[in-house]
Amino acid sequence: MTRYIIRRLLQAIPTLLGISLLSFTLIKLAPGDYVLMTTFDPSITAEVREELRRQLGLDQPVPVQYVEWLTGISLRGGDMVDAMAPMSKSCRYFDSLDFTFCDRGGGLLRWDLGYSLATKEPVWDMLRSRMPASFELGVVVLVLTFLFGVPLGFLSALFRGSAKDQGIRLLSVTGQAVPIFWMSLICIFVFSVLLGWLPVGGRMTISLDMKFSLVDRIRHLILPAFVLSLGGVAFLTKLVRTQVLEVIEQDYLRTARAKGLGSLALWSRHVLRNAMLPLATVLGPAILSVINGALVTETIFAWPGMGRLTWFSALQRDYPMIMGAVMFFSALTILGFLISDILYAAIDPRIRLQ
Amino acid sequence: MKRLAWRRLLAGATLVAFVLPLLAACTTVAVPAAPEAAPTGPIQGGTWTEASSADGTILNPILASDSASFDMMPYFPGLLGTNPKTGAVEATEMAESWTVSEDSLVWTFNLRPGVTWSDGEAVDAHDFKFTYDAIASELVETPRKANVAGIESIEVIDDLTVQVTFTDLKCDGLLDLGLGWLPSHLYAEDFSDIMDSPLNTAPTATAEAFGFKEWQRDNFIAMESNDGFWKGAPNMDGQIIRVIPSAGSRLAALENGEIDVMGLEPTQLTRVGLNPDLNIFKFKDDGYSYIGLNQANPANPLPGQDEDGNLVEQDPHPILSDKMVRKAMAHSLDYEAIINKVYLGQGYKLASNVLPAVGWAHDASIEPYAYDLEAAATLLDEAGWTDSDGDGVRECNGCATAEAGVTLSLNLKTNAGNSTREELGVLVQDQLNSIGFDIEFEAIEFGTLVGELLGQTYEMVIIGWTGLGTDPNDDSFWHSRFDTPGSGFNFVSYQNPRIDELLELGLETPGCAPEDRAPYYYEIQQIIHDEIPYLFVTGSIGNVGYSNRWEGIDPGTWSFSWNIHEWALTE
Repeated sequence: MTRYIIRRLLQAIPTLLGISLLSFTLIKLAPGDYVLMTTFDPSITAEVREELRRQLGLDQPVPVQYVEWLTGISLRGGDMVDAMAPMSKSCRYFDSLDFTFCDRGGGLLRWDLGYSLATKEPVWDMLRSRMPASFELGVVVLVLTFLFGVPLGFLSALFRGSAKDQGIRLLSVTGQAVPIFWMSLICIFVFSVLLGWLPVGGRMTISLDMKFSLVDRIRHLILPAFVLSLGGVAFLTKLVRTQVLEVIEQDYLRTARAKGLGSLALWSRHVLRNAMLPLATVLGPAILSVINGALVTETIFAWPGMGRLTWFSALQRDYPMIMGAVMFFSALTILGFLISDILYAAIDPRIRLQ
Repeated sequence: MKRLAWRRLLAGATLVAFVLPLLAACTTVAVPAAPEAAPTGPIQGGTWTEASSADGTILNPILASDSASFDMMPYFPGLLGTNPKTGAVEATEMAESWTVSEDSLVWTFNLRPGVTWSDGEAVDAHDFKFTYDAIASELVETPRKANVAGIESIEVIDDLTVQVTFTDLKCDGLLDLGLGWLPSHLYAEDFSDIMDSPLNTAPTATAEAFGFKEWQRDNFIAMESNDGFWKGAPNMDGQIIRVIPSAGSRLAALENGEIDVMGLEPTQLTRVGLNPDLNIFKFKDDGYSYIGLNQANPANPLPGQDEDGNLVEQDPHPILSDKMVRKAMAHSLDYEAIINKVYLGQGYKLASNVLPAVGWAHDASIEPYAYDLEAAATLLDEAGWTDSDGDGVRECNGCATAEAGVTLSLNLKTNAGNSTREELGVLVQDQLNSIGFDIEFEAIEFGTLVGELLGQTYEMVIIGWTGLGTDPNDDSFWHSRFDTPGSGFNFVSYQNPRIDELLELGLETPGCAPEDRAPYYYEIQQIIHDEIPYLFVTGSIGNVGYSNRWEGIDPGTWSFSWNIHEWALTE
């Protein structure tokens, strides 16, 4: 098992490098660059823009920029030591080859995601500062999803064809069909504006002398967590219902029933365990969604999570920040699928990881 | 996040877009009488809460380029004040008075004595010089370098006297001096720590009404009142700016009492107007919406001047280079309907490029183009654009600028996500098509639009300017020098030697007196009106919704919160 995990983690390295190359190219293909986006201002002259591009290294061909992002090393033709020195740790001109070699420091290979162009802060710090908010909302949503999705799916299957089943199925179709932004606005209007029960948005009540209050945090969590878990609950309900129905059609269940196995033992030991298998597949990516944020919910409920950070940096063409987010989420995705596979093996003894 | 694209688009304008809030944030008013003597002074305490659609990026006045950042850092003193109602430059900030040399190139500013940073250090001429030298430094990456391009030298005569020498006379040159000052005593002398200073996210010193307290990214920024503020300690405890990206959620928060103020969209006016706890401040904003008409061939963008400054003959646009066609367009838009239906009444008709807000330079005698479809049709007929095959679209039959048989087909673009502009685009398409145009309209991603706009590869664009500021100079929109494909803002490729000359005269008027400059701007407005490089759709009207639980709020066009230190809770 350990060897399997180590091998999978090692395999992730070329995968991540491939992702980085592909996404860097795609981002650079998008029209407009960081300098253009932040200086769409007639008082800023073309010369200033060129100077900024040169300082930020955005005037270089895309492959050069990629190598610079990856390694933190800048290569320029000719003797550019004077021009490059202010932005680098060390610079050297190689006479015979007529190029300048500068070490800017950082670079992905040195385990450094670099600095955001807009905020000048380390990309990792910016990602990290949004994690608690994303994590908080994500965990609650995940718990709610499983807490309601699994039992509802079971009930639905158990009372198949009955009014209860129809009701649950109607709810789950609705839950999946209702757009999140619409549901969010309706919830805000009803519970915040009309009834005044819950805050409009944010993660906490903000004041000059803030103290941590669990009740306050929960009050702020209710609406976004509810809206965000709707889709998941609906999806899981349907999935569990289908799985359970499939399992109870199986021969071994009829056999078990014929043997006189009690209803509780039958459901818990045979149906539940077998129906759980596909859940393991869902859980890995679901854990990923805990952290990667939810743009629409974060926007409407003013939730300071990672989705907004990523989206905003994409609009700004803040390349190091976008790349940092892409790398982080890619690594998480790979990890999520690994967890799925391990869970799978743990639940189903027929599966062996090699 | 649609909001961002909208903000960005509007964000294009002169430097004043960013400077004004700074200047205007703190115009002087007589310091209120000492409260301890009066038994019933204003109520002390309370927190003023604002909502911003976007988070700031960096709390350093020379590195930031977005208005959200400037809103979040009202800590840095500035040289000059702006009258919140008229926009006039006033000696209400650090400069108490100034003298100007005869050639208007050397400005000597006498600074206000006794102003200190909150850590006790004096605010003086060294801070000013440090800030501007930092901008020029090779170690500093900033879009603000244009601010120092026209400055030959800055000399500290003594702690409270500073002399600025400009290389050339520029009547709006003072605006370049509008950036907030950094506390020089907290930085390395050689500017080496400016880019990665921790002060960029947590400024420790303030010389204004508020000081920094806490910033949680994408969430809020909290500021405490500065009791040592030289205009008088604020009555409130502090202010908070919350980041709420969705306009609908901001409105809900305003109605709910979670925030005290927000900029309103036209669709939100009715709800706020009906709420007895809220007030609305309506003002003519310093911006306008327009349709830019590219006069040059989008397939062959050329710069307006060569390296020696001589005019470069443009490859004319086969349709839009014809003034008769542009005039026909100007007559075929129903401005009144557009303002009422698309802008929900939050706009006003505009005849040319200088806004009424700049009173001394605005020529009110020019009439906006009337909605007159007959006149428009006649103009097109006369110009040789007629519908000979009866398909509803005119073709060139003896027109001056295109080959015979070319249809009157044009592409119109705007940025996706701005619903007002998208609605306007559909309406414009409909109205122009009704007199024989064939308009293709598309809304595209903002970054892509900016690329096409500056690259001059578009035909017609719906866009707007905001933050045009207090000076009528807008040479970057019309001067052939700024017709540089890829970067210049004369992206309609407008070329007129007389306009170039007038813009230069207006900017280089000896003495810079408004009455001497005004005639040039009057003539500019008449020419721009006649030649129609832009179809002026509407002047912008801004609306601010705010809570009436505060008293003392006296908003002006140029600043809402200029006297925020005097505001107090009503109960």
